[in-house]
Amino acid sequence: MSITREKEQHQSTPAPRPPRRRSAVSAAALALGTLVAELLRRIGAVADRAIEYSEHWLVDAKHARHGLAVTRILLGLTALGLLAANFRTRYYAFGSGSAWNGQAADPTSDFPNIWIFSGFNRIATNDAAFTAAYLALAALAVLVVLGWRMKLVLPVFFIGWVSFIEMNPVLGDQGDNMFRITVLSLLFADTAGRWSLDARRRAMIPADASPLRRFLRGGPYLPAWLTNTMHNLVLVAVAFHVCFVYASGALYKAGGVPWQQGYAIYNPLMTQHFGPWPEIGAFLTTWAPIVTIISWTSIILQMLFPVMLLKRPTRIIALFGICSFHIGIAILLGLPWFSLAMIAIDAIFIRDVTWRYVTGRIRTSWHTARYGRPPADAVTDDSVSTANQRDGSPVSEQEAPAETMAR
Amino acid sequence: MTTSQNEAMASTGDAPPEHSRLTTLKRVVILLLVFFTAWHIFASFLWIAPYSGLRQAVPGKMLESYMIPMFGQSWSVFAPNPINGDYRIQVRAVVVEDGTEIETEWVDATEAEVTMLTHNLFPPRAAATSIQVASNFKSAYDELNDEQQDVVALGYYEGDDWRDRMKTALLAHGNENAVMHYMERSRITGAYATQVAYAMWGESVKQVQYIVSRQNVIPFDERNNPDAERPAVQSAPTGWRGTIVEPGQSQERFAEIFLAGVEESGQ
Repeated sequence: MSITREKEQHQSTPAPRPPRRRSAVSAAALALGTLVAELLRRIGAVADRAIEYSEHWLVDAKHARHGLAVTRILLGLTALGLLAANFRTRYYAFGSGSAWNGQAADPTSDFPNIWIFSGFNRIATNDAAFTAAYLALAALAVLVVLGWRMKLVLPVFFIGWVSFIEMNPVLGDQGDNMFRITVLSLLFADTAGRWSLDARRRAMIPADASPLRRFLRGGPYLPAWLTNTMHNLVLVAVAFHVCFVYASGALYKAGGVPWQQGYAIYNPLMTQHFGPWPEIGAFLTTWAPIVTIISWTSIILQMLFPVMLLKRPTRIIALFGICSFHIGIAILLGLPWFSLAMIAIDAIFIRDVTWRYVTGRIRTSWHTARYGRPPADAVTDDSVSTANQRDGSPVSEQEAPAETMAR
Repeated sequence: MTTSQNEAMASTGDAPPEHSRLTTLKRVVILLLVFFTAWHIFASFLWIAPYSGLRQAVPGKMLESYMIPMFGQSWSVFAPNPINGDYRIQVRAVVVEDGTEIETEWVDATEAEVTMLTHNLFPPRAAATSIQVASNFKSAYDELNDEQQDVVALGYYEGDDWRDRMKTALLAHGNENAVMHYMERSRITGAYATQVAYAMWGESVKQVQYIVSRQNVIPFDERNNPDAERPAVQSAPTGWRGTIVEPGQSQERFAEIFLAGVEESGQ
């Protein structure tokens, strides 16, 4: 009341007629109406802004191009490594030496019964054809690492890989599923936009090149709004997928007594199958607190991985932690290719600005060491502090120069 | 040099993103892509998460038919109870030498294969072949009832119909699903054991016998006790069997890898 009176005193003549005083009920109704309308308007504005932001995020530029390029490179190396490690024993595990398992005649996996994935299964007992296809698949994996003609090579590699790895699903692991699902998603993203032969070739197309020349040198074949949207949706889907995998892994583990009591990692390390280094396994599990710390940390890290991605400091802890977890699995449990595939996928969570800084520093220090002076586009050590302050969305970084970024 | 300059240089060749001008048609396409991705993420969530009532939000078999086979996966790895035992398969044979039948010694096929894995940073998948054969066989064996386990401990090898006779004998004790499962797994195990026998003792192999077993590791609480012994071996005793060879099998390709493992394992 006093406020109203003060206001009135401030106002100069002619003094307006004081507004009619409403009943408490009607005033409450009016105030409520005003506030609700305001709330709805604000919600509407927030929704508008969210839609607008999402649309720009999806359509304007491709995100995590370096991260997805690293994923492509590491998945290519995973395939190459797996093929190399199994080359000597390829007939025994997959080919004519393994026909006893009945997979060649009557496959248990669904994939050999799907025509496009049936290639390896058809030639399983023909040693020469199988070896030729095996080497061709390795060559495709090299091209994936190099990023050569990815729009053609990646789909062919995907088909070949699924066909090969499903020859003997009995010997497979969950890394095979992760690999298949991720590579399938990557077919719809631009994984060769960075650090690839494709990117280098595209950069060398002269501005006045004819449409045919552009077509032959690698596109673009589709409009940017469409490819950007698909690329970014793939990023979202892969990010959700890996989060689900970790969180559900944690839930399943938490349901088991060995995990609850903190000694779960002891058991597999003592078996022959998952204990390739029995001496290290025995040494590591001698002192019970270490065993508990490793077991529980694995669960906690997996469970919290999705939320830890949201902020930069926890994201760094999550990524270092999960990377160590996978290196541990790779060495101690003898599952290097499963682990490398998982690390490859986690690379999408490292921002473009970080990848650029790291490679910039490598290039600068190499140039400085070699020629005694930094290159023209040197990346200095202190620019990291600037980069660190710019904490964008967890998954991605706007690709454009900072000054043109719309925020 | 500032970060933005670095970024500008690092991204040369990129036009700065303009806010795309979207027509209604483009927006419809984008929305369809977004809806599809949202469905894919939701379906993946339901499939990957432990089974819950939320799966009933998707009608009928829609979830399974979307996820299988392409998005098939299971993340209860090493959970809830990580593996705590070793599976093993040992094989011996009856061979004919100069017209007389001789029983061979046992060969530990698992010990031979795991030499490819132990102290190897990049183990080949072949190393776990017999472990998977044994593990699959043991689970099928454990489904049989006591009478049926007595049946499989008997010998079945005469003539070409020994598998049919064994199946009939097993079915006499009911438990039909378990019998079908056992017949399938025992065929694979028998075919593997046959390859082991051919590799070890050549073409004169007449019958084979295999013992699949599992032995648990020393319990965690006793790991530092020098007198601790591993728990007793749980074996699945089976009698003599005829040989099984699948079409397309190369005995040479099997033998070259297997025998290298046997030698390496010092058997």
